[in-house]
Amino acid sequence: MSLLAAPYLSLGIGALLAGAVSSLFAARPRPLAAGAALAAFTSFALAAREVAVAGHERLFDPLCSCFEADALDAVPMAFFAALTLLVILLAPRRDAGGKSMAGLLLLAAATQTAYGAANLGVLAVGWWLTGLPFALRLFGEDRSRRSVLIILCLSSLALTASIFLMHGVEMQEIAHASRLSFGLVVLAVALRKGLFPLHGWMVRQFDHGPLLPVALLFNGHLGALLVARSEAVALTQAEQHILDLLGIAALATALITSIRSFAESRPRRLLGLLCLSQASFILAGIATANAEGVAGALLHWLVVAAASTGLIAIVRVLEVRVSGTAAPDGHLGLAVKAPRLATFFLICGLALVGLPGTLGYCAEDLIFHGALENHPWLGLALPVATAFNAINLLRIYSLLFLGVLPKRVIDIPDALPRERWPLAACVVFLLAGGLMPGRILEWRRMAAEEATLVPGDGETGNGHRVPN
Amino acid sequence: MTAESLTLLLVAAPGAAFVILGMLWLLGVGLSERLLANLTKALYLLLALVACALFWQMWRGGLTTVRVSAGDWFSVARYHFPLALLIDRLSLPLVGVTVVLAGVVGAFSVRYLHRDPGFFRFFLLQYLFTFGALLVFTADSLDLLLCGWELVGITSVLLIGFFQNRPDPVRNAQRVFGIYRIADLGLLLAVFLAHHWFHTASWHGFFSGEWPGHVNQLDGAAASVVAVLLVFAASGKSAQGPFCGWLVRAMEGPTPSSAVFYGAISVHAGAYLLLRIEPLLHASWVATSLVIFIGLTTASLGTLVHRTCADAKTSLAYAAQTQLGLIFAEIGFGWTTFAVVHLVSHAVLRTLQFLRSPSMLRDYHRVHAAAGGQIDPTGEQYDSLLPKSVQVALYRMALGRGFYDAILDRFIVLPAIALARLLGVFESHPERRSPPAAEPTAPPPSVSAIP
Repeated sequence: MSLLAAPYLSLGIGALLAGAVSSLFAARPRPLAAGAALAAFTSFALAAREVAVAGHERLFDPLCSCFEADALDAVPMAFFAALTLLVILLAPRRDAGGKSMAGLLLLAAATQTAYGAANLGVLAVGWWLTGLPFALRLFGEDRSRRSVLIILCLSSLALTASIFLMHGVEMQEIAHASRLSFGLVVLAVALRKGLFPLHGWMVRQFDHGPLLPVALLFNGHLGALLVARSEAVALTQAEQHILDLLGIAALATALITSIRSFAESRPRRLLGLLCLSQASFILAGIATANAEGVAGALLHWLVVAAASTGLIAIVRVLEVRVSGTAAPDGHLGLAVKAPRLATFFLICGLALVGLPGTLGYCAEDLIFHGALENHPWLGLALPVATAFNAINLLRIYSLLFLGVLPKRVIDIPDALPRERWPLAACVVFLLAGGLMPGRILEWRRMAAEEATLVPGDGETGNGHRVPN
Repeated sequence: MTAESLTLLLVAAPGAAFVILGMLWLLGVGLSERLLANLTKALYLLLALVACALFWQMWRGGLTTVRVSAGDWFSVARYHFPLALLIDRLSLPLVGVTVVLAGVVGAFSVRYLHRDPGFFRFFLLQYLFTFGALLVFTADSLDLLLCGWELVGITSVLLIGFFQNRPDPVRNAQRVFGIYRIADLGLLLAVFLAHHWFHTASWHGFFSGEWPGHVNQLDGAAASVVAVLLVFAASGKSAQGPFCGWLVRAMEGPTPSSAVFYGAISVHAGAYLLLRIEPLLHASWVATSLVIFIGLTTASLGTLVHRTCADAKTSLAYAAQTQLGLIFAEIGFGWTTFAVVHLVSHAVLRTLQFLRSPSMLRDYHRVHAAAGGQIDPTGEQYDSLLPKSVQVALYRMALGRGFYDAILDRFIVLPAIALARLLGVFESHPERRSPPAAEPTAPPPSVSAIP
């Protein structure tokens, strides 16, 4: 069993938990929370560096062997820690209270626990814990809290029941799971990811829930992680068919939510449907089980995380500054007062829908090729969904930033320095990554290889998966 | 410098200018109007010189084709996205036209947009547009052409909504973007299907030999499908056939952008694509007939509507659409060289007309006065030879602009929205009818609360 040079994973998760507890009692919680998130990011980034050197090996945490880092989870862990820091910095003052900061850090710690889980049991613990900040009302009371709790509990319950049916907690057990057990895993994923027709709760969460925690909850992509983990073990033919169905459900979600957006006019709901549609590409790509599809999906995972966090944070920033953004009567014309926020929004949005020159384009290009290879006709749904999503993105942009500025908006500040730098970091990642995607693809190459290799004689596998 | 490095410099320079200036602005660095104007002039002068040097090198060296490979943009397993550029007898004239006309429009815009709040934004978008257009004309594959195509599309839409504090430009920009995206689906699908069926999307994979004598290497029904999808995409970009309604909406943008996009370069990108894939087009009778049919019907409608337009820019838009229809038909009939000459001369003439359109009345009065008030207001029209009832019907149709928007709304937009509403049943929930926003927002009336 290979170990990490230092207990980076325990330290990272510990920093997040310590930050959560101390934020509750701090007079100025934001600096404390940002410090904890920065410490976690540093730990996870160091772990990711070690994993990159180790190649296909799993590196266990020396302090707690129930945590491990490998090619699949190391980069998302570091990336998610960076997103947590971003969200903490971008939170408007009214969202940066002690309870909110503690909630964000707790949510991040739970997600990182699921990422770093060395077995299915720990993954299920992390899966359950993501609902804890909502159960403790750390983000306040809202109408969508009950639905998010119900769905998270149902999804966690499905995963836990599946583990019980497997009679073991090791990841390899998935390969010997019964049809019922594997079906429960897929149900857990479908609920968690909000796949059609179970997507309503996620849209409702965007519409009524606390936006910044929703950004973290949405961008955990734990469902995609579990599917990618399943891909990495030798699945039976029946399990492959179930995964194929999951892929088709993801394609349907991408298309249906993109069409559904045409009937919406509220920015939050539009944004929710847009993010949901684009995030479904990840699952659709992973379910293709071919090199292009999986590599594209793992790349798109990062794109969706960075771009949707940027978009959500900007919408929240605007909501705090201007009344009536939740359900505007007409166009708000805020680009006149906040041109930089408008530009950040547009770049993040265009990267999300795959404008050439951004990282989103490279990711989608690979996913399309992968999807076409597996499902020549169903794969065509993805370009159609992208086209519709781009139209809806421009609708949100127009609604918020173009048109006549309402008379009540006398003056609002453009991006503050505290907002400008994190958003610029997002934009640089999306644009520089788009111009030189090779480097970022390299981060995900090993993970993609693991997901598309069939384990043979050894644990690392020795052959390519036979396409269905 | 070699022809290869000149080609790379030509394409990359406007893109680099866009990225550097854009990032500086986002981080709070402002540029004065004068500096930006000088930068723009210097950039386009450089591009023009590079284009001339490229032409000179090719002419002196007797080269008909320059291929530049900058490696792979990205690659996964067996899939590669090659960054390859091509300069040949088709792309060189269009590169020249792009550089010269964009430069002329840039110089014109320095005065036209003086002290406009969107001055900086306009030039940034123009750099991005130039980069996109040069990428379209020099791409050695459909994949790379798609990249430029999309960049041209998004800059076009952002410039239509340039006057963002007015409702109409915003509404029209949205509508144009919708039409663009639907039309671009043709290109997107063609690229993926070409990869899927033929395992290539590069021009040298599609054709052997050099333009204009290149020979089609694809055959069968699959090739026909790809050709039809490309015709669909080209029609969208050039405002032809089922996509003929967006061009007039695009006139909401500032006049210089109308000139460079809808008079000079952007609308001709569709015709360029058809010229590039001409052998593939002619291998399929469906695609050939479609191009001729689309071209001729759009030209007829355009010339009809053009006669009833009350303002200069709308009239010019329909005139441009008519000429583009004729260019499409010429390509369909196989008159390639004639189509290229028509395309280039139309781009130059239309740019001049668009740039002069704000002072059209003054020009007319000057000419009228110089002629001693002897100019006939109208000439004899061929349509006066038609029966009166036909004239009235055509006049009504022209006034309604072919009833394009009404047809689009009734048969496409409204059913799409109805379907979208129907899909809402999967999201039904009790709080649906109650007002949204659970999180605290700014208190009304909102005046800027710094968060």
